[in-house]
Amino acid sequence: MSDPSIPLPPVEKARSPLSEAWEMFRRNHSAMAGLVILTFIVLGAIFGPMLYPTDPFDMVWAPFSPPGEEGYLLGTDYLGRDLMAQIIHGARVTLIIGLSAAIVTIVIGVTIGALAGFYRGWVEEVLMRITEFFQVLPTLLFSMVIVALFGATLPMITFAIGIVSWTAVARITRAEFLRIRELEYVTASRAAGAPSGKLMFKVILPNAAPPIIVQSALMVGSAILFEAGLSFLGLTDPNIVSWGQIIGSNRQYILESGYTVTIPGLAIFVTVLAISLVGDGLNDALNPKLRQR
Amino acid sequence: MMNGMKSFLAAAAVSALSLSAATAQETPQSGGTLVVVVPGGTPRVLNPAVQSGVATGLPGTQLFASPLRYDADWTPQPYLAKSWEVAEDGLSVTLHLQENATFHDGEPITSEDVAFSVDVIKEYHPFKSMFAPVTSVDTPDEHTAVLNLAHPHPALMLAMSGQLMAIIPKHIYGDGQDPKNHPRNNEDVVGSGPFKLVEFKPGEHIILERYEGYWEEGLPYLDRIVGRIILDSSARAIALQNGEVHMSTFENEPTVVSRLMQAEGVNVTSQGYGGIGPIDWLAMNTTRGPLQDVKVRQAIAYAVDKNFILKAVMRGTATEAKTGVHPDSPLYNPDVPAYEVDLDKANALLDEAGYPMDGGKRFALTMELPGFPGYKAQTEYVRNALGKVGIEVTLRAHPDFPSWAKAMGTMDFDMSMDSVYNWGDPVIGVNRTYMSDNIGKGVWSNTQGYANARVDALLAEAAQEQDADKRKALYAEFQEIVAEDVPIYFINAVPMHTIYSDKVQNPPMGIWASSSPMDKVWLKE
Repeated sequence: MSDPSIPLPPVEKARSPLSEAWEMFRRNHSAMAGLVILTFIVLGAIFGPMLYPTDPFDMVWAPFSPPGEEGYLLGTDYLGRDLMAQIIHGARVTLIIGLSAAIVTIVIGVTIGALAGFYRGWVEEVLMRITEFFQVLPTLLFSMVIVALFGATLPMITFAIGIVSWTAVARITRAEFLRIRELEYVTASRAAGAPSGKLMFKVILPNAAPPIIVQSALMVGSAILFEAGLSFLGLTDPNIVSWGQIIGSNRQYILESGYTVTIPGLAIFVTVLAISLVGDGLNDALNPKLRQR
Repeated sequence: MMNGMKSFLAAAAVSALSLSAATAQETPQSGGTLVVVVPGGTPRVLNPAVQSGVATGLPGTQLFASPLRYDADWTPQPYLAKSWEVAEDGLSVTLHLQENATFHDGEPITSEDVAFSVDVIKEYHPFKSMFAPVTSVDTPDEHTAVLNLAHPHPALMLAMSGQLMAIIPKHIYGDGQDPKNHPRNNEDVVGSGPFKLVEFKPGEHIILERYEGYWEEGLPYLDRIVGRIILDSSARAIALQNGEVHMSTFENEPTVVSRLMQAEGVNVTSQGYGGIGPIDWLAMNTTRGPLQDVKVRQAIAYAVDKNFILKAVMRGTATEAKTGVHPDSPLYNPDVPAYEVDLDKANALLDEAGYPMDGGKRFALTMELPGFPGYKAQTEYVRNALGKVGIEVTLRAHPDFPSWAKAMGTMDFDMSMDSVYNWGDPVIGVNRTYMSDNIGKGVWSNTQGYANARVDALLAEAAQEQDADKRKALYAEFQEIVAEDVPIYFINAVPMHTIYSDKVQNPPMGIWASSSPMDKVWLKE
């Protein structure tokens, strides 16, 4: 039957959704720029302290020595501590807080959203009322109370940030679950006898993942900002250095030595911007509807 | 050359004299409204007979007069008492009151009111040691009050001045209600001082007005005093700079003070805080761990560089304090061990105490980080300084004052920065920190757990010593012993400053800062 003279259209090799997404992402210049900056910051946070071993708490030179003088690239703070060392060592703490707070957010948010969206009925009612309760709480105030009550330690700060920011993730997860649970392949799995747990986490969740991933990426950025806010108000562990804390401790000297505040401020700005760009890029790359454009 | 120098000096002296004559001759102008900042925020009550603290002190000393006032060189001056005598044996003090003095409702101020006020203060004021030895008050006539004492009590003179002995009306506060929470403490206040209350809006302002019936003709000069409540130090600094506020007292933030020193039309002085006597120090809990050893405490003193704190943290706004008595006090003894920074000595002492260096570390201690501003830089500095001699310090952050005060009061701490006020006589504000019968009785008691029998004996003896020189010698020895034992390493006098505009004449420069009557303050327009 086949006519050899008519060439078959070249068979397009089926591409995995991941590589397709990566292709999308790569074509997005701002997202790539964000990824490069972020990679640089993460590498700096991991290896920086080894390359620049100055103790961030050590008083190395006269206080308020402006950037560039006496070999201190970013100058010194109010006690004569090396700001460069503080920024480098602070990066690690700042990113750890950002990441772990985002993880707390995802764990709480996805669990609650998944249960509510999957079971519906009274479970959904109760869980969504709880979510609404946390949504109307003044977030900064609530986390301040938690840190003030239970002590300003790293895990407690992380928890305080996570506990006030999971509501968005819960709502997105629930919405996706509500949509996907009615689709044919879910019904098919259910008919094939898949238990609820498997349905929820093996069948529905992977398909609900893209918006959650985007939201989580943005969460890291907002957690970093949140930590900076808490530190600025003095609610921070004084035995560690984070960028927000550098700003908080130096803010009273802002008029005469502004660089002690602007430098960590810039660091936070650049990091959060990079995270947002990556998040936006992920959003475009993972959203199949946008792929048609 | 010599002659030229001499005549130059003489000319300088003459011009200095004429200059001071000119200022003295300047006649005070009456009238005007003085805008001041109420130090420390909204006072709980305006009645200093039942409340301590400088927030109550500013309005309280305008509303209520005390028997005495003190000038800048610690000499008592007549105020509500026009004269007084201390009995030969020191067992009684007689006050002769101003005869035409009246309360703000026109009732005469009598010896009955003095007796009543002493009773109230004795029972309700937090400083119990002020009037504890007063056994009774006799009132032989309307204008004579005799305070009978169980033993000689020289601290009484300072306790009868400033905000410490407000004379309150018996016909108002003697109505059987609890004086501590009396409704007239904040509303319709009937006082004995130069100004009466117009309005008290918590969190906003306290408005006072000249009392026309004040006993001294022509005083007070001011028509009104507006006490504004501005909690943020930068907001206060701006208000002072743009003339919205004439005066602010108890300003101690080094950045604010040093900035305003450069400002035009604004004067900055640290004079006038000797009586209040605030001192910043490093408190050490002598009952716990390595700090029980005096050598360890001395090593810590040697490792901490006071000069760094004075220069870098305090920006040169503070003076060094070597003992628990304020440097402005006549009882201050500057000849005590100063512990000039010496890391070798510190290391040697720690070795001797049996804490050898092991991999850069000897032992670990905790240090409290109070939740209120002003101590962060010092605390962080002490951590770094002690790290250099192998003492690893972990900071414990407190979110607010009560949390820190609880740790201090229950002696659940190793080290902490603290500041404690002298309040005039050592009997009132100094003894509490060192007497062994006052250990662990809340914040600002003997939180160091310090016990030294000789110190107890010296303080007990000095409390009753009438001879000023002998008393001074007793306190001198006390200060030496404490400096040797180092339960506390004294750092600096808290850099309290009064900041006032060029318009303000005669600002309060006695020993009580703004906790003293402003009847002689006037505004030059």
